[in-house]
Parts: sequence; C-alpha cells; structure tokens
Amino acid sequence: MGYTLAEKVLARVSGRDHVRAGEEVMAKPDFVVVYDFPGYTDVIFRQMKEDFGIGLLAEPDRFAVFIDHMVPVATAAEEQLHIQTRDWCREQSVPLYERRGIGHQVSAELGYASPGAFVVHFDGHISQLGAFGTLAIGLRRNVLEAFVREHVSLKVPHTTRINLTGALQKGVMARDVFHHIVRVLGPSACRFQVMEVGGPALAGISLEGRQVICGLAMFTGAITGVVNPDALSRAYTDPRARLHLPEVSSDADAEYAAVHDIEISALEPVIVVPPNPANTRNLMDHVGLPMNAGYLGSCASGRLEDLRIAAQILKGRRVRDGFSLHVIPTSQEIMARAAEEGLISTLVEAGAFTSSPSCDYCFGRIAVLSGGQRAMSTGTLNVAGRMGNPDSEIYLCNAAAVAAAAIEGCVADPRKYL
Amino acid sequence: MSLATLRGRVAWIFDEENFDVDQIVGVKNIKITNVEELSKLAMRGYDADFAASVRPGDVVIGAGNFGYGHPHYPPLRALRHLGIAGVIAESFSPGFWRGEISMGTMLAACPGVLGLVRRWDEIALDWQDGMLRNLTTGGARPIEPLSDADRTMLETGGLVPYLKRSRDLTHA
Repeated sequence: MGYTLAEKVLARVSGRDHVRAGEEVMAKPDFVVVYDFPGYTDVIFRQMKEDFGIGLLAEPDRFAVFIDHMVPVATAAEEQLHIQTRDWCREQSVPLYERRGIGHQVSAELGYASPGAFVVHFDGHISQLGAFGTLAIGLRRNVLEAFVREHVSLKVPHTTRINLTGALQKGVMARDVFHHIVRVLGPSACRFQVMEVGGPALAGISLEGRQVICGLAMFTGAITGVVNPDALSRAYTDPRARLHLPEVSSDADAEYAAVHDIEISALEPVIVVPPNPANTRNLMDHVGLPMNAGYLGSCASGRLEDLRIAAQILKGRRVRDGFSLHVIPTSQEIMARAAEEGLISTLVEAGAFTSSPSCDYCFGRIAVLSGGQRAMSTGTLNVAGRMGNPDSEIYLCNAAAVAAAAIEGCVADPRKYL
Repeated sequence: MSLATLRGRVAWIFDEENFDVDQIVGVKNIKITNVEELSKLAMRGYDADFAASVRPGDVVIGAGNFGYGHPHYPPLRALRHLGIAGVIAESFSPGFWRGEISMGTMLAACPGVLGLVRRWDEIALDWQDGMLRNLTTGGARPIEPLSDADRTMLETGGLVPYLKRSRDLTHA
C-alpha cells in the first residue's frame, strides 16, 4: 500500500522513514507563518518570554510574520500592535512582510509554499498553500507550540481524495467547485482529514482556483487541503520555492479514507446563503434578491482571474447607484499586474471602490454592513456578524457573480455578461 | 496522572448538526471579554433559567460536527464559568476541538450520545475504560480515545501547562 502526500511530508519532518494516518508524531515545521493579531501574536510573544523563558529563536528564518490585518490602521492601539510586532521581528531577526498583501497569498509568492514543505499557522486558511503541494495546517492557539519548541504534536491525518471530472462552463469558477464539493459531500465529509483534490478536471482549474479550493478546505471539516504538484504548479514554485525538497505526491495506491468522484460539467454558479458556509444553493434560484454591497477580495478571491472576469463583466457598464462595490486585489503583486493589464481602470471607471490589499474587508473591520443589508461576497465566511453587523446577511459567490450583482443591485446571472 | 471520571448531569442537548457555538452567547455578544457579563448572556436564547439550574460538573451534549463554522472562545469560557465541565458530542469540528482542548475544556466524542441521554440525566464519563454511562437509565456507549497530546493537555489544564511539562530541551 502506498502513502499519501500528507503521510510522506509528515514522515520527513518527524524524522521517520514512513508514517501512517492515525499515528502520533512530533513534526518539525519547515515554516511557521503568522499575521499579527491581538490575542494571537501579542500573546505568543509574551508567553514565549514570560512562561517559557525564551529569549531568541534558534532558527528565525523558519518563521515569517505578516502585517495584513488592520492595514491601514484606524486607531493608535492598532498601530501599537504593529509597532510591537515590528520590534519583535527585528529583535528576533524574523522576516516581516508588511503591506505586501494578504499573507496567505504573499507567502505563496515568497516561496513559503515550497512543494513538500510542512507549514503551520494559527489561521486555517493557510491551507491554500496546499495548491502547491505544501502541507499547511492552522493550529489555532496551539501554534504557540511551534514558537517554544522545535516540534508540534500532531496525529497524522487520513486523506479523503476528491477526483474532479469534466470541465467548467463559462462563468463558473473554482469558488463554485469548492461550495459544490460541500454541497455534495457535506460539511463534515473530511473531518480531521486532508482534503486532496485531483482528477482530470484539475488541468482546467488555474493555480489561483486551486488556492481557493484548498484555502476553504476547513468547511468540509478538513484540517487542510492539497493538490499533488504538477507541471503547472512547479512552473510557479520552481523559481520561488525557499526549500527544494524531494518530489512528493500521493502514491497511486495510497490508502485513502474515502475517494469521491465529482463531475463539474453541469455545475452552475452557486450562492452560499447565510448563516453558514455549508448552505450551497444554485445562484439561479435566488436571482432578483436585492443586494446593497459587493465584496471581491479576501484570501479566497481577489486574484487575477477574479479581477479579469469582474473587469470583463463591468467593462462599459456601471455599478448601480447606491450599491457599494469593493474590489480589493489580494496582493501588491496581483494589484500591479492588474494595473498593467488595465483591469483597475476598467473597474474604477465602472464605479468600483478599490484599495491596496488588506484583510480588513473580510472580517468586518471596514466596509461594514448595516442592519438589514445584504452583501454578495467572495470573502471566506458568511456567518452572522462577519461583515460587522449580526443583523446583516452575507451571500458567498464567485467573483463574476459579485460583478453582476453590482450592475443590477440584486443577485444576477453573471453568464449573460460574458 | 490520569483523567478522573467525570460525574454530572446533562444540562443541555444541542441536537443541531454542525452547531455554531457562537449562538450560545449570541453573535452580537461575541466580542465581550468580561466573563461575568458573558455568563449572564449565555444560553439566554435556549433557557432563561440555565445559569440557575447548572451545577459544577454538569455537561452539555452536542450532535455531529459540533463547533462548525468560525468558532470563537467566549461561548465556552462562559459555560465553563457557569460550571459546565465539558462537551460530549457525536463528533466535533477540528477547529473547535483544537481550540477548546488547548483551553483545557474537556471534550469527548461519543458516537450515539444523542440516543443515550436526555436532559438532566446523570452521567459518568470514564476515561479509564473509555465509556460514557447514563446513570439514570443504565445505558452506556464507548467514547473515542484521546491522542496522547490531547489527553496530556486535558490532564495538565491546557496548552501552556502541557507545553511547560513536555517541552523539548531544545527550543525553536
């Protein structure tokens, strides 16, 4: 019986020849990635010193800190948090990436998404590095473990394999594929497991799309998502990878907890209705539902293919009066490319509000909704209050559907504009 | 060191699959940090007399994939403050599991628990033989074993004491 990608990665980082799902290991992360956030980094930095008496990290280059939330700051207290983070990184010689974009995207750009690497974070959306064959797991507060000793304790996860077959129709995106997976398999199908996505349809899904699918893996119950490296992902990672590790892929005879085939040719755009990320519906069944705002961005969208399709839809058209459309590129690299391609000017001319990358639109810090309002969003979550008000409603969808809603002021079929 | 058998009553049963724990205190109140204030709000939407009827050692019961969504810490802080000793559920969402075990909240996965207990039944959760017993009805169901790390975390009281006890000599 062969091994899964997750088993192979965890064998290497726990110094073993082989490990099997279910075994408990002490695994040394290749990279420990975090963003500064109150209650997480400030507490970790304090606990390292006060509870564990740790002065300096032994291998600071294994760590990376991002400042991507509270950018730009709105209060002096927020700036104070960033100051502490900058000081800590300087003192520790830990690389700090500030205002480069959303860390989960920028860490891919900067090569932390090295194929075969093991990465930990406190935030579960780091799973999107799995698009490049990296095993990236969000540990919540347990990430403290990675700051106070070399290894983190981990039970080697089982893997559920999802084979995608067919090809996506026009106006249907990876975002729809992910929510369709949740609709078909349910929100606990991959509980405590790795969601491994493959199959012939993957050839037609961009790297950006794979980042979206892997980044949302938690809503299937998974602890992370992965795609086995292929020519497309290697073309991206070869020049960027920080670690060049032996090629790692799941074996053809790997032991999976389950294998599912999901056909995507008939898939139509979906909409995930509040109040939870398991409520996948067909967008066409909600056409006409009035919307007040649209958000295109977050670590689960806001990449070039999202900006391109939104620009294609909005070119020569106008955002409806009274509708607030926020289009926020996910990283500076993406924003610069989008500007070169003329996407930003198209979006702005149509009436979109854009800004430099920030996580703040996604978690209700800015661009908040008022009670009774509704948003179409490519953000990560639709739970009550996520966009700042528990009495507002968030409908998750792909980037094209946000653009179409912006034109009509209600849920609209994006395909008629393509 | 080993985990003691827990005896208490079933103070509430959340029978909704994929339960979003933020509802325990209400999403509107999720940013409150004062635990006294949180505890007064906890379970208000379910049973206005909850706080008055709970005794230390009582547990709450959950259905499948308990803690799905985007779980925050305040709801369980509030329940613990009221005396709730832990959650026994059909199964848990991994993010919730990891977060609460690291806080030292006792969690036990017990497939079949919803059919085993009714509200206010007396239960005994025996970690030694891995059984959940309903002392009121005489029924019993096996619980899923904890990983070594999770068990040690519960024995020591959470992430920080666990790491203090088991930390490698070399650090990161």
